[in-house]
Amino acid sequence: MKARPTETIALRVVAAVIDLLVGLYLSAVVMRVLIPRLIFDTAPAPFATMDMLILAGSALAVLVHGLLSGASPGRFAMRLDVSKGYALTAATHLGWMLLVTTVIAGWIVTGMDPVALFSEGGLAGARRIFTALLTPEWDILGDALLAMVETIYLAFMATAIAVPFSFLLSFYSARNLMSDTIGRRVMYIVLRFLTNFSRSIEPLIWAIVFSVWVGIGPFAGMLALVVHTIASLTKQYAEQIEDVDHGPIEAITATGASRTQVIWFSVVPQCVIPFLSFTIYRWDINVRMATVIGLVGGGGIGNMLIQYQGLAQWNEVGAIVIIIAIVVWIMDVISARVREALK
Amino acid sequence: MQPLLRVENLSLTYPNGYRALKDVSFDVHRGEFLVVIGLSGSGKSTLMRTLNRLLEPTEGTITYDGRDVTHIEGEPLRKHRAQIGMIFQHFNLIRRHSVLANVLYGALSTMSALKSMTGRFTSEQRQKALRNLDIVGIADKAEQRADALSGGQQQRVAIARALMQEPSMVLADEPVASLDPATSHSVMQYLERINREHGVTVICNLHFLSLVRRYATRVIALKGGELIFEGKPEQITDEWFRTIYGDEAVEVEIR
Repeated sequence: MKARPTETIALRVVAAVIDLLVGLYLSAVVMRVLIPRLIFDTAPAPFATMDMLILAGSALAVLVHGLLSGASPGRFAMRLDVSKGYALTAATHLGWMLLVTTVIAGWIVTGMDPVALFSEGGLAGARRIFTALLTPEWDILGDALLAMVETIYLAFMATAIAVPFSFLLSFYSARNLMSDTIGRRVMYIVLRFLTNFSRSIEPLIWAIVFSVWVGIGPFAGMLALVVHTIASLTKQYAEQIEDVDHGPIEAITATGASRTQVIWFSVVPQCVIPFLSFTIYRWDINVRMATVIGLVGGGGIGNMLIQYQGLAQWNEVGAIVIIIAIVVWIMDVISARVREALK
Repeated sequence: MQPLLRVENLSLTYPNGYRALKDVSFDVHRGEFLVVIGLSGSGKSTLMRTLNRLLEPTEGTITYDGRDVTHIEGEPLRKHRAQIGMIFQHFNLIRRHSVLANVLYGALSTMSALKSMTGRFTSEQRQKALRNLDIVGIADKAEQRADALSGGQQQRVAIARALMQEPSMVLADEPVASLDPATSHSVMQYLERINREHGVTVICNLHFLSLVRRYATRVIALKGGELIFEGKPEQITDEWFRTIYGDEAVEVEIR
C-alpha cells in the first residue's frame, strides 16, 4: 500500500469540491430521475428555483457533514485519513448510496425493458432477423468482396500515409530526446497534447468532419483514419523511443556525431522492429475501423452494409456480416503471426 | 611541455543537487595511461563524461590541447568529442548492425548527416575500418551482427570504433567490468597496444588494483567526488588502499 499523501490545503480543497459534487449528484439523481419516474411515473417537471435550492442544500449538507465528522467521500477519494469509526462507516455508506442510485437511475435512463427482450413479439422479431442473417444471399458476393477490398485498401492507404508523419513526429514527442532544452520541452508538451487530443476524438467523428470537407465517400473515411492513425502511432512510437537503451545513444554522441546522426544510428535501430509490429497491428485495427466508418458514408463494405440495412434486405446483410467477420478474423491471424515472427 | 588535458578546479552538481565532482584538478600528458580508481559512486564515470563533454561541469575549466572546452557547444563541441574515443562497460554497440558498420560509425563526425544516413561510406573508410578491426584481431567477424559476438569481442569492436575516430585520447569507462578475468586482460592489452604503438593517450576507470598496477603509468583516486590520491601505481600502499576504499575493503586479485 502506498503512503498517505500529506494533508495540504490544495488536497483539502479538492476533497471539499468532490463532497459538493457528490451531494449535488445524489440529490439531482433522486429529484430529477428517481422520484418523478419511480413514484409519479411522469417526466420530471421543469426546473424551478426551489429545485436549485434543494440541490445546493444537499451539496452543502454533504460538505458540512464531511467537515464536522470527517466522513467525507472527497477525503476518501483523495486518500486522506477517514479511518475513525463513524467517519469510515458514513463514508462507506455514502459510497454505497452513490452506487445504488446510479444503478437504478441508469436502469431508468437506458430504458431497460427485459419484457421486450423476451416477449412473444420480440422473440418473433429475433427469429426473423436471425433466420435471414443465417440464410445469406450470396448473389451479392462479388460486389461485397469488391467493397471489402476497397475497405482493406482504405485502411492500408490510411496506415501508409500516416506512417511517415508518425515516424517524424514520434522523435519530437519522446520525452528522453526532448528534455535537454526548454524549447524542446515545450514542443514535447504541445505535441503530446495535440496527439492525445486528436486521439480522444473517435475516427467516426473525424469521418463526419471530413465528409463535410471533401464530400461523402472513401476519401473522407481514409482521411479520418489518417488523423487517428497519426495520433495513435505517434504515441506508440514515442513510447518505444522512450524505452530504448541509453548506452548506444551515449556511444554515438561521444563519436562527435550530430543530433540527427545520433538518433538515426542509435535510436532508430532499436526501434524498427517494434515500429513495424505496431504498424501492422494498426493496419489490422484500421480495417475494422474502416468498416465502421463506412456506416457513416466512408465508403467500402460498411457503406454497402448500411444500404442493405436501410432496405431491410436482411439476407444480403447476413452475407456482408459473414464476409466482414471472416476477413477481420483472417487479418487478425495474419497480423498476429507476422508480429510474432518479428520478435 | 604543455599537457594534453588540464583539469582545473572542476566541480559538477547534478540538477537534483547531488555533487558528483568537487574541485578536481589534474593534468594528463601525451602518451600517458592514466587510471582512475575509487568506489562506485565516487565520481569516476561523471569525470569521464565531463572530459568529452557528454556532461557540462558547473565550475572549473577543462583545457584540451590548449583550448578551453568547458562550455563549448554545437560544432566545436562535436569536433572536441570526435578527437576523443570512448569505451563503455556495456560496449554500447548497435546490436542489430554488423561489426563493420559499428566501426564505421566512429567516422560519423566526418560525414554529412545525409551521406551517412544513406550509408554512403567511402571505400577508404571501409578499408580503414577493416584495418582497425585487424588491430583488435577480429577482422574476420566484420560481416557478423554485433550481438552475435562475445563480450570481449564486442569490447574490441568498441575499441576499433574509437580508433576509427583517429583519437588523440581514449576514455575507457570500466572497460572490463562486465568481462571475465581472462578476457579482461585481452581487452586491457589492446588498450595498452593503442597507447604504446599508436600513441593514443588513455584515461581508464578500473576496479581491480592488480590491473591498475599492471597497466597504469599513473593513477588518480576519487572519493566522494574529490581527488584524494595522485601518483605512480606502486605508490598505492595498504594505507592508501584503505583510505580510498574504506577500512572494510579487502583487495581482490585478478590475474
